[in-house]
Amino acid sequence: MSGEIAPVPDTQSAFGDRYEVITGSPLPEFSTRGGDAYSAKDKQKSGGDIYALVHHPSIPIRNEVYKSLKNKPVGNLICPINRGLMNLHLNGRKVQRLVTIFGRPTGGALLSPDGQLNPRVNANRLRANVALSILKAITALHKRGFTHRSIMPHNVYFSTPNSDDVVVGECYSMPPGYMQPFAMEPLDTAIADGTGRGIGDVTSDYYQMGATMSALYFGEEIWKGRNRDSMLMARVNQGSYWALSGGREIPGALGTLIRGLTADEVEERWGAEDVLDWFEGVGKPKRTTMRAWSMNRPTNFKGVAVVDRRLLAHAFARDPAEAANFLKSVDFPSWVQMSFRDEILTDRLESLLNVKPDSGFGGMRSDDYKMVARVCMFLHPTGPIHFKDHSFFLDGIPSMIAEAFSRDDRESLSAIVELLDSKFLQSLADISEMQGVKVGSKMADLRRMMPFAGNKQLGKGMERVLYELNPILPCVSQRFSNVWIGSILQLMRAMERVATNGTIRNVLLDRHLAAFCATHGVDLEREFNNLMAAQHNPAKFNSLSLNFFGLLQQRCKMEALPGLTSKLVDGLTPAVKGLKNKKRREQVQAALEKSKKGGDIAKLVNEVNMVKIQAEDAREFAKARTAVSRLDRERTKLLKKVQPHDPEARKTGLRGSRAVAFAAFFLVGFLTFFG
Amino acid sequence: MANEKKKTPVVRRRRRQQEMSGFGPLLIVGMALSAFYSIDAVIIMAIGIVPTIVLGFTGKGEFKAEKLQCVGFTNLAGVLPFMVQAKMRGSWESVVGDIINILLMYGSAAIGYALVYVGPMVAAFILQGMNDDRLKKIAAQKQAYVDMWSHEVLGDKEEPDPNAGKNFIR
Repeated sequence: MSGEIAPVPDTQSAFGDRYEVITGSPLPEFSTRGGDAYSAKDKQKSGGDIYALVHHPSIPIRNEVYKSLKNKPVGNLICPINRGLMNLHLNGRKVQRLVTIFGRPTGGALLSPDGQLNPRVNANRLRANVALSILKAITALHKRGFTHRSIMPHNVYFSTPNSDDVVVGECYSMPPGYMQPFAMEPLDTAIADGTGRGIGDVTSDYYQMGATMSALYFGEEIWKGRNRDSMLMARVNQGSYWALSGGREIPGALGTLIRGLTADEVEERWGAEDVLDWFEGVGKPKRTTMRAWSMNRPTNFKGVAVVDRRLLAHAFARDPAEAANFLKSVDFPSWVQMSFRDEILTDRLESLLNVKPDSGFGGMRSDDYKMVARVCMFLHPTGPIHFKDHSFFLDGIPSMIAEAFSRDDRESLSAIVELLDSKFLQSLADISEMQGVKVGSKMADLRRMMPFAGNKQLGKGMERVLYELNPILPCVSQRFSNVWIGSILQLMRAMERVATNGTIRNVLLDRHLAAFCATHGVDLEREFNNLMAAQHNPAKFNSLSLNFFGLLQQRCKMEALPGLTSKLVDGLTPAVKGLKNKKRREQVQAALEKSKKGGDIAKLVNEVNMVKIQAEDAREFAKARTAVSRLDRERTKLLKKVQPHDPEARKTGLRGSRAVAFAAFFLVGFLTFFG
Repeated sequence: MANEKKKTPVVRRRRRQQEMSGFGPLLIVGMALSAFYSIDAVIIMAIGIVPTIVLGFTGKGEFKAEKLQCVGFTNLAGVLPFMVQAKMRGSWESVVGDIINILLMYGSAAIGYALVYVGPMVAAFILQGMNDDRLKKIAAQKQAYVDMWSHEVLGDKEEPDPNAGKNFIR
């Protein structure tokens, strides 16, 4: 990458002046996947324990959750107090990061990050305090239209060392369900990759509540040391309650509560009313029958007889090449008929699944992955999309893309580009809707992204999809690894700092920067198209860069940017040198030098419109070239020595002689008759 | 068939149209009108303009009309005084009888021939002078373009040898 890394601002922000983040005092019990927690102090307001969460730039935050909780905090939930950009010294380097200040519970986590159970946790407290506190927190969130999706035993705290009151940790610093352990997610979302689980629903929170209660009851991290596949088998075959507890019974009312909360079928899982009924002792077991996921006849896949269709979908997803071979080798309609006697394979469903027998050409084709994905969706319609070694929900794609970019995982990104195919997604939606699961509404955002995804133009591509789907994500260009760029204004200020300390050459060719500007700016696509077209013409490119930054400065109504202006003017040197007209060149140079000191790029663009000047210069130069070549042709003609026998000379000479002869005749005649 | 040589097509060239000066008919009309003035004068004219008549019949090539007119006008200038003299004397024989008169009439035609020969030389000299003037102007115009647009306007990428400028003017 060309160019330099943007330096951190010299001065601390007002937010940074107010709060002191003690980076030497980390708080691992409050750290999340989205950020690292540290002790903090409020310099303006004493009293009230707080902690600071320093966010990771590559993980999108839940902005709506922040706004809602800041305006009106929820009881029994750690709520944000304030947030802002701050200069920090982390790992020996100065960086600018987004920091959120939270109210800090001082009673400690119920289960510490190293797996130690808080000595104050016991079955009575779990039953009497923890369950109700968690319920209060999540129902308040649900009323506002949010899910928590991050309820973990080490994300639940005693509010004070002496209080029995419990608060649930924050849920805004990362996407819902982001990288949660397999055991702590309901079965459908657990099967998806940790980064693409989507928003989920309120029942997911109740499952997490139950799983958390289970872990706290046993006093251990129930997901630790458990193989994912064996855990999945156990959860499918025995139910999550037994799988989580490892076959141990939880006696009494607490067992009933956890059993109800961890029910795998959404319809059977306990909700707020059930928990309240249980609390008042009037509840009755709701658990009835389990939905039949079993096939009528087991299917042998890779030497294993699989009966559960969810497990079969999972097995297909783990080895799509083998799954494709299997599907091609069987008579698909007969196989469906035999395996799912209760279901009728309609013509429409068959055409949607589009399983074609082996054409004999061999090898895995792109369509085969799609075919396997469609069949997996048919087998497990409430589960994730399985496509090319990735499992995800449609609303989990934004966080999945963000994570793929943070690892520079081009393979995953190209799989998503392939997935963003309207026809394919529609077929998946139709298949799951035919099974009674609605996904259509989740596709609207993705449809909007389809024109960008495969487009290689500047300001488009997967980078654009990243920022469009994650509008709160800062610009994650390597150029801005030290700073937090959340808006065009911050970008321009960072560019000013880069310009003051180094060079900004080719900065606009940075795909992340372009995509970020195109997402957060209005109608900038034409500018980026022009820039891309001029990328091999430095003179024109620099002129267009000047126009671009001038436009942004004007739109943001920004202060003077002398460093950036100076560098942009310096960048125009080839453009100015490229002007053919000497007088114009001197005039433009003088005007640039004059405007450079002001730092107003918009004004500079108005006064010296380089693009227009270049076009005018080129036009006039072409005219001058034509005139000179005409003169050259004339000169070549005139360079030839004129000889008396040349037709022109003869003609002129003879006509001259004739005139002389006539004059003589006329004179003699006049003198003869009148002389 | 294949070995047969293709016959080259006969190119029929259109015969070039003879230049028509109108000088011949003019002479005839002039002679006819002169006959009203004096028969002697007409006879003198007929004898005097023999070189022109010969040229009219024998002349060929380009600019025949101009040549004929040139010789004709000078020839007539030499004949005209003797036509008046013949009228005044009332006899054409006395004029023709003096060989000097014949020499003067034919000499005037010779002057016409001389003009035909010298005219193009003088014209070439004058045209050459005009061309030199125009070349100087062109050089000045090109220099003005170079001053405004640099040497690139000449199609050169590099600054040319300063001595090369001399070639602008031969």
